[in-house]
Amino acid sequence: MAPQPPLLSMSGITKSFPGVRALDGVDLDVQAGEVHCLLGQNGAGKSTLIKVLAGAHQPDTGTIRWRGEDVTLRSPIAAMRLGIATIYQELDLVEHLSVAENVHLGHEPTAAGFVVRGRAARSSTAELLKRLGHPEVDPARLVGELSAAQQQIVSMARALSHDVRLIVMDEPSAALDPDEVDNLFRIVGDLTADGVAVVYISHRLEEIRRIGDRVTVLKDGRAVAGGLPAKSTPTREVVALMTGRNVEYVFPERPAAAPRGEPVLTVEGLSREGEFAPLDLQVRPGEIVGLAGLVGSGRSEILETIYGARKPDTGRVLVDGRPLRPGSVRAAVRAGLGLAPEERKAQALLMLESVTRNVSVSSMSRFAKAGWIDRGAELGAARAAVRELSLRPDNPDVPVRTLSGGNQQKAVLARWLLRGCRVLLLDEPTRGVDVGARAELYAVVRRLADEGLAVLLVSSEVPEVLGLADRVLVLREGSVVHTAPARELDEHRVLDLVMEGSPAS
Amino acid sequence: MTQPVSPPRDSAPKVPSAGEKPAWRAVLFRADVRTLSLLGVLAVLILIGGITKPDQFLDTRNLQLVLTQASVIGVVTVGMTFVIISGGIDLSVGAIVALSSVWATTVATQEFGFAGILFTAVLVGLGCGLVNGVLIAYGGMVPFIATLAMLASARGLALQITDGRTQIVTVDGVLDLGERDSYVLGIPPLVLVFAAVTVVGWLLLNRTTFGRRSVAVGGNAEAARLAGIDVRRQRLYLYLLSGLCCGIAAFLLIVLAGSGQNTNGNLYELDAIAAAIIGGTLLTGGRGTIVGSVLGVLIFTTITNIFALNNLQSDVQQIAKGAIIVAAVLVQRRTASTT
Amino acid sequence: MPEFTSRRGLLFGAAAVSAGALVTGCTSNESSDDEPAANDQPAADDKPGKQVTIGFAGPQADHGWLNAINDNAKKRAEKYSDVTLEITEGSNDTAQQIGQIETLINKKVDVLVILPADGKALTQVGLKAMRAGIPVVNLDRIFNTPQAYRCWVGGDNYGMGLNAGHYIGEKLKDKQGAKVVELAGLDNLELTKQRTQGFDDALKNYPNIQKVARQAAEFTVESGQAKMAQLLQAQSQIDALWNHDDDQGVGALRAIEQAGRDEFLMVGGAGALSAFEAIKADNGVLKATVLYPPTMAASAIDLARALGQGKGVSGLAEFEIPSSVTCYSAVVDKENVDQYMSTGFK
Repeated sequence: MAPQPPLLSMSGITKSFPGVRALDGVDLDVQAGEVHCLLGQNGAGKSTLIKVLAGAHQPDTGTIRWRGEDVTLRSPIAAMRLGIATIYQELDLVEHLSVAENVHLGHEPTAAGFVVRGRAARSSTAELLKRLGHPEVDPARLVGELSAAQQQIVSMARALSHDVRLIVMDEPSAALDPDEVDNLFRIVGDLTADGVAVVYISHRLEEIRRIGDRVTVLKDGRAVAGGLPAKSTPTREVVALMTGRNVEYVFPERPAAAPRGEPVLTVEGLSREGEFAPLDLQVRPGEIVGLAGLVGSGRSEILETIYGARKPDTGRVLVDGRPLRPGSVRAAVRAGLGLAPEERKAQALLMLESVTRNVSVSSMSRFAKAGWIDRGAELGAARAAVRELSLRPDNPDVPVRTLSGGNQQKAVLARWLLRGCRVLLLDEPTRGVDVGARAELYAVVRRLADEGLAVLLVSSEVPEVLGLADRVLVLREGSVVHTAPARELDEHRVLDLVMEGSPAS
Repeated sequence: MTQPVSPPRDSAPKVPSAGEKPAWRAVLFRADVRTLSLLGVLAVLILIGGITKPDQFLDTRNLQLVLTQASVIGVVTVGMTFVIISGGIDLSVGAIVALSSVWATTVATQEFGFAGILFTAVLVGLGCGLVNGVLIAYGGMVPFIATLAMLASARGLALQITDGRTQIVTVDGVLDLGERDSYVLGIPPLVLVFAAVTVVGWLLLNRTTFGRRSVAVGGNAEAARLAGIDVRRQRLYLYLLSGLCCGIAAFLLIVLAGSGQNTNGNLYELDAIAAAIIGGTLLTGGRGTIVGSVLGVLIFTTITNIFALNNLQSDVQQIAKGAIIVAAVLVQRRTASTT
Repeated sequence: MPEFTSRRGLLFGAAAVSAGALVTGCTSNESSDDEPAANDQPAADDKPGKQVTIGFAGPQADHGWLNAINDNAKKRAEKYSDVTLEITEGSNDTAQQIGQIETLINKKVDVLVILPADGKALTQVGLKAMRAGIPVVNLDRIFNTPQAYRCWVGGDNYGMGLNAGHYIGEKLKDKQGAKVVELAGLDNLELTKQRTQGFDDALKNYPNIQKVARQAAEFTVESGQAKMAQLLQAQSQIDALWNHDDDQGVGALRAIEQAGRDEFLMVGGAGALSAFEAIKADNGVLKATVLYPPTMAASAIDLARALGQGKGVSGLAEFEIPSSVTCYSAVVDKENVDQYMSTGFK
């Protein structure tokens, strides 16, 4: 690479929030035309760093040089004027405005300074969408009607509607299907070919290997490594840098003997129109059954239907041979089912409440006489459950929102543990959980199974299903295409099944 | 087969681990900051009242007066606090108070005497709450719309019953309750009812499964549903509770004003929401306290009292009320962001 | 439909007749001591004449006085076999009331009687009716311009305050350092300011009297009780109270009773039946009330009928009806309460 000054050079950036030092002297160099990847566990400071770069946070100390000159990014607008655009993980689009209006929000093409030229906005938006490989998105449609992937494209079009030199993408592939990811990478390639720099944040190492040029690893608010070659740095080294430990995914041992006994959970011919075809499955006590499949294969829908959160069109769910009332979460919970949903914060946790109250919420009546809660008993039980799962901090009085992703997941598991739940439904149990905490979570799930729990697991990460489950059902477009013990499958084979649906040999 | 996983029957307190105490104190401290700031505001008001009108303000009769005036809206606010904590809103409280007070004071009702008036007021309140609750919980209506509709129809029905006329109460037992002879150890019966409702409300919110479920529904309705809480039934109960509080408040108002009128409870919805908000209840639900709401009511009533004693007119009173709401919310935002 | 089919009808009929009796008292600016009930002669000719359709649009009757307005208009119209009354559903919503009046214009009624929810906001629709050739009798709340009505008939808010002030002044004229308090109505209404102004102007004639406090209630029992309780707490001893409105007066009396106070005299406003009864019983602080007569609605119907039939008002030399009629705010006390009892509204 030619020895020109970097496009962006951040040095010694610190940023503190009350009680937390989020960034502690971070350096970051980005060259024009490169894909620079940011890696780090949750809480390592990635989000804060990109917010500083976007002008949304002001650093306490440190300098930012842009094309060789010192700059201050006072506001998101200031950053945008320089040519820095950010695509956040949680898309900041206005659902009730059209695609074109969103793309041009804040810098609408106008006549006489205030009359919005709608046609001009739509045609330039159409141009951008075509460039992004999605000419089928109608600029006049409301953003709320688009799919998640299409919304991301709109977000990207908005970034490109400015004269952009650096794009920050925060986990852009998280909500995308494989072919969408391919399209994303093509766009990234086009951009860098034009000399635009991309700061790319992802948890997925394989993506970084595919498109990244260099990698900066953040840990505890510091850059522990800067500018590593993305393609050639060994995984082991990257993981070691991120965790400070030299570990990869470690899956717990499976018990020697296959689980026996009558199935505790039986699903017979369960289906929902347009979501998944009639499904049969059984889970025995002590058994972990995994559902593998892509986004849109109906995995979450299956779990939620079993749980009663959705009403099935056909079929039934039995626990210990007794059918559950369809479409009733309460019936499912009473029968001993528990769900750890995919969207933990939105679907499981009471974010304003303490760990105790999050854990006890499903078993309140156990601590109550005539509605009167015995808070001593509740706290004691919550504490015991928290200990059992080695949730940290082990004080159940802390607000649940202060916990890390992995510990929040443990709080959800503790809830069902306390309830005396017998069938645990896990939907993407390690989403948003950092690498180090995953192994621990896997161990917890296996231990619960060993203690007699039946577990039904859904994950988009094939290695996770293969590593944790005893038996795997492979889903493709709402139908089970293959069932086998986990040890008879490998990742390659599962992906083949998922993509092709062929019972490949 | 049944293997409840490690039921922690041993609820004996364990040795507190390190790092536990500061967190525990932080929680307590935060709760205290809110309450203390409200108490501070009240103290300042009392100081102002005491300085400007020492004879009239710092007087047992005035204390009785302020608490009495706070009682009616106070009872309504307790119910409203529950509804807001659960993520809802009840815009119909004023109208329900009007309808209850009017229905309970018709000539026909008054024939049944004290019990007839009390029973009718409470029953009408519960009935309106039931309609609100069913519409919202099982009809899937947005609380704002459902209770707005109830506001309109309850006011309309109240008007239809009275034809715009004031219905004077002639039942002595009811009238006597509002007079000095029936004060218990110097405490007006209305204030006793208000205190009782406050205590019951506090216990309900902080010590019962009902309170927990209300908070859970308000904090995250979807999470509450997936945790096995019957969210719809809980919502129904909450609007019933608000209706019940309105019925009780209507009875207090009948005692206080010696009459029923369709204009009763004018803008109670705004006063109750404002009191709950300055008391620290999140309008988005999931957090709130009864103590805060009651302090909010007392602050508003005390302001009105001080202004009236100083012969300041209602325009100034309204401006001050608005300023207090803004100031209280700003202070809370600050304390919330620093802790 | 047969007249007087029920006892209720009979009673209301009787009320309408005596209300009619008052109209002369109301229209006369000279004296409130006109001969009582005996003079049962309506404003225009009583004999059936040309058929007249009168459109009546008023606000929502959510207050005793407004309710009495509607009753007075209806009963008065029923009295005439040549009058058809088209009465709208009362509304406080300006837009809705405009719509209702436009409907009446389209129906081509002969005369319109309008008690606007808001006089200023409804001026345009008054103008529209006049331009369409429909004479408008503007009741009480006045339009912005005289072009919008043929005749205005209404009460005298300033006069209410003035007469209340004079009544209190005369009662207290021998007392040195007399203290008076005022319980006003809704402060954001013009009429409240006028009543207060009249009261203050009257008190200027009595240097021995001082108005020591004023609070505004909201024309409701509840607010009357609340504000009065505060006023009494603020003033440990007073000699007189003027309360703008008898409805809120119910609450004020309740507060007075609760505070155990009886050292002063109270004058009310508007003329509610309960106030008349209390004045007659003479066992409390309420000694008098100043009228804001709802019978003005009956007068408005009379004027509208005369307009429709092209007649003048009997008892006046004019060929045409007057362009403005201000009803007198008589003081009703124990001496003359019997005469007014039948006009008291509930």
